[in-house]
Amino acid sequence: MANFHRLPVARGRPVRFTFEGAPVDSFAGETLATALLAAQVGAFGHTREGNPRLPFCNMGTCFDCAVQVDGRGLVRACLTDVVEGMVVNMQEIK
Amino acid sequence: MTAHFDTIIIGGGLLGCATAWMIAREGGRVLLLERDQINQHASGSNAGSLHFQLEYRMIEGGLDKARKAAEAMPLHLDAAELWADLPRLTAEPIVVKQTGGLMIAETADQVRLLEQKTEIERAWGLDNRMIDRAGIERIAPYLSDRVIAAAHCTTEGKADARTAGPAFARAALAAGAHIRTRSEVRALSRRGRGWSVVAGSDESPQTLQADTVVIAAGVWTTRMGQMMGADLPTIPLALMMTVTQRMAPLIGHLVQHAGGRLSLKQALDGNILIGGGWPARLLRDAEGTPDFDAKPQLEASSLAGNARIAMGVLPRLAGVPALRSWVGTTTITPDQLPLVGPVPGCPGAFVATGGSAFTLGPSFAQALAALVAGRQPLTDLRSFDPARYAKG
Amino acid sequence: MHDVAIVGAGPAGMAGALQLARAGLSVVVIDEQARAGGQIFRRPPEEFGVRHGQYRPYGWARDLIEDFEEHPLIETRFRQTVFGILRDPEGQISLAVSDGQRGTRIKARRVLLATGAYDMPVAFPGWTLPGVMTAGAVQSLLKSQKLLAGRQIVVAGSHPIQLILAAQLLEAGADLAAIALARDLPGFLEMARTLPAIPGNVSIFTEALRAMAVIARHRVPLLRRTLISAVEQTGEGPLRISLRKVDAQWRPVGTAREFEADVLALGYGFTPSTELARQAGCALSWHSAGGGWTVQHDDNFRTGVQEIFVAGEQTGVAGAGRAHAEGLVAGQAIAHSLGVGADPLEVNRAQALLKSSERFAGVMQTMFEPNRTALADLSHHSATVICRCEEITSGQLEDALTCNPFLTSASAAKLECRTGMGVCQGRYCEGTVAARIAMHHNTQIAQAGHFNAHLPVKPVPLGAYGDLDH
Repeated sequence: MANFHRLPVARGRPVRFTFEGAPVDSFAGETLATALLAAQVGAFGHTREGNPRLPFCNMGTCFDCAVQVDGRGLVRACLTDVVEGMVVNMQEIK
Repeated sequence: MTAHFDTIIIGGGLLGCATAWMIAREGGRVLLLERDQINQHASGSNAGSLHFQLEYRMIEGGLDKARKAAEAMPLHLDAAELWADLPRLTAEPIVVKQTGGLMIAETADQVRLLEQKTEIERAWGLDNRMIDRAGIERIAPYLSDRVIAAAHCTTEGKADARTAGPAFARAALAAGAHIRTRSEVRALSRRGRGWSVVAGSDESPQTLQADTVVIAAGVWTTRMGQMMGADLPTIPLALMMTVTQRMAPLIGHLVQHAGGRLSLKQALDGNILIGGGWPARLLRDAEGTPDFDAKPQLEASSLAGNARIAMGVLPRLAGVPALRSWVGTTTITPDQLPLVGPVPGCPGAFVATGGSAFTLGPSFAQALAALVAGRQPLTDLRSFDPARYAKG
Repeated sequence: MHDVAIVGAGPAGMAGALQLARAGLSVVVIDEQARAGGQIFRRPPEEFGVRHGQYRPYGWARDLIEDFEEHPLIETRFRQTVFGILRDPEGQISLAVSDGQRGTRIKARRVLLATGAYDMPVAFPGWTLPGVMTAGAVQSLLKSQKLLAGRQIVVAGSHPIQLILAAQLLEAGADLAAIALARDLPGFLEMARTLPAIPGNVSIFTEALRAMAVIARHRVPLLRRTLISAVEQTGEGPLRISLRKVDAQWRPVGTAREFEADVLALGYGFTPSTELARQAGCALSWHSAGGGWTVQHDDNFRTGVQEIFVAGEQTGVAGAGRAHAEGLVAGQAIAHSLGVGADPLEVNRAQALLKSSERFAGVMQTMFEPNRTALADLSHHSATVICRCEEITSGQLEDALTCNPFLTSASAAKLECRTGMGVCQGRYCEGTVAARIAMHHNTQIAQAGHFNAHLPVKPVPLGAYGDLDH
């Protein structure tokens, strides 16, 4: 189990959104990838063969962090800033 | 050093590989020469549609032109049967799904055009029937309610263009054919009763001999004809296709449109393939000769136009990620009928190309194999005889 | 219509933009990140209340970023993806750009591609497990998002940046189980040979030495000539990371040692991001020490496509100093091609920087070139995934190569077995596939070639296409 945690520095105002229906607390300026990793989410999605995926490159090239945001598919969590109320889900098929 | 073969086939696309297989399994000593890799050009970069109805490009110019194009229908009917049998005959996993095709209409004019078109096709023996809105809702509920009628051809469908060419190549190897890739043909000349073929790299070309030569070279057909001193006119058409991310099964048919350029289907892998004849730009030299080695350029108008017509009949596509848009360059002939038969003035040389060459590939290959063996082809090829363009 | 559109706001893109803006030309710079800086200068977001991050050892970065951000003639578009380069029938070139939903085109008289590089992918058993990450991912999470990836971390690679990453992680409070370097540390002779290349780049060596001191102080096992071999995980337990001793050719000697960690950070080098250049029709050349396929260009950094220039890692991965210098020279050349001369003093300065960075880069590249064959061999077990997206295994690729003996190129392999056909567009398997083909046919990697790059170079919704002719 990966063990990601925020360093104690000043962050933006609190931002709350949902992932797979559960509330996630984060801070303005964080990416979706950071917020989900800090929430100890064990998989951002699964491959067709059912293997879990977490961010691999964190720079927008590998697409392992892709999620569904407000109904839009293949959104890279590492390039998406958290927004209050956004509805995030795992992708149906990677 | 020279080597002698019964037949040298020029071109390692679907047609060349299928022809090599058909000749080799009859016992012919076959060498296939490919300048690049097997299946890399039009054969591997078309969308794999098996369309037996007249396509939009054949009906957009009016009914007279449609009637002319329909002369190729016997080849289509052969192809419909051949494709179904190829996985068994080659013992290769060629993926063929003949789950039916729909040419759809959104306006009363398009419905009328479809009705006239199906009449022409049925006269040639193609089973293509009109279905109404209720019929569409029953068999293709995924389509937008803007679609009011369709021509439904049950034998249409798709084959996997990605893997069909190599499958024929493997079958050809298993039947004893030889294949050389990265081996460009540089000269063709008559020698005795056969042909001398210079092929290979610039540094180490090799001279090969064969009794017969088959040109299965797609856009390079005209150039091969020039090497032989024959006029084989072809018109290159650079066409764009787009593939989306994989999706759960949604589209069961090959979908075409009576009022615009669209082909839409879902590959077995789940990706949706979108095309339909949207042009890309071939790069040309100062004299206007197309450069087939340069990558054709995509047109913004085609990207937008193709996406819009697809989203029009299937609105949820707007949110589906596109993965790749690429260009395949196919050939057509001045009268839009294929070019299949002996190369004029060149005994022992045969050619096939021109329009729908993926769909018709097996039919072309069957005809070429018969010609090479000196047999009468099963289908009457007179309408496709290259001699119709011979000068003088 | 802009005079120049620049893709990438890293050191090369920023330097180029400033040269052009100072020449009075209108510039638009597009980048997927939220702020300028590129991967090398990733910094905390504005919302965290700080303007700058930590740019050590690049003293010039702060001024470059400030000048770039404050110049009125530079327009920036962040969080946008350039997904292709198009040309109108009239010959006008434009960038196809998406915000993830809609599409638009940006027309410009010239284009500067400064798209940088990404961590070179290495396929081995377990590289797709959650918690296995690139060094760049671990470092950017730390530098920019102030997120520490894991309590217990293993750092494995061959690039010197691994030492700097290790020190940064230690200083942030991580516990490093091991640092595994495939190479030896540079020896005395090697160091002596590099000295002529150092002038102007002393701070980089100072930084490496500082990192070594931090690592020593924390008593982290620094394993030399040690290569990653596999990662396993049971349930949600820790990653069990196998590291193996190798010889000078990176061939395994002896048995593997296992370490437990939450995260494995991999850094075996960098791959230039050449997809846009490829899609636009620019020619590439193979330059293994420079990261693999690089974009061909002339002395003015102009590619074979008249309007398109390149600068930075795409010309051969050589670090931020080199990218900065190339950006300056390319910017001046572009201005010149648009009929605007540059200040001779600036030209001299840029040429001097280019020259000094060239020597340094050359030495660094030669010293740290990855052993591609040894790395590709890590995927030899048939069950090892090669293509992360389509989950194509090493065995499937080998079967395809065996059953199709006529198949000798990366592009043909892609078509035959779907490797590279997924959402990353082949970025994470191309190198492995080409190396495996070369091994299979006993040829060179360059012979196997590269995948074709198509529009969109990163997936965009089909809806974004529908806007392209507006």
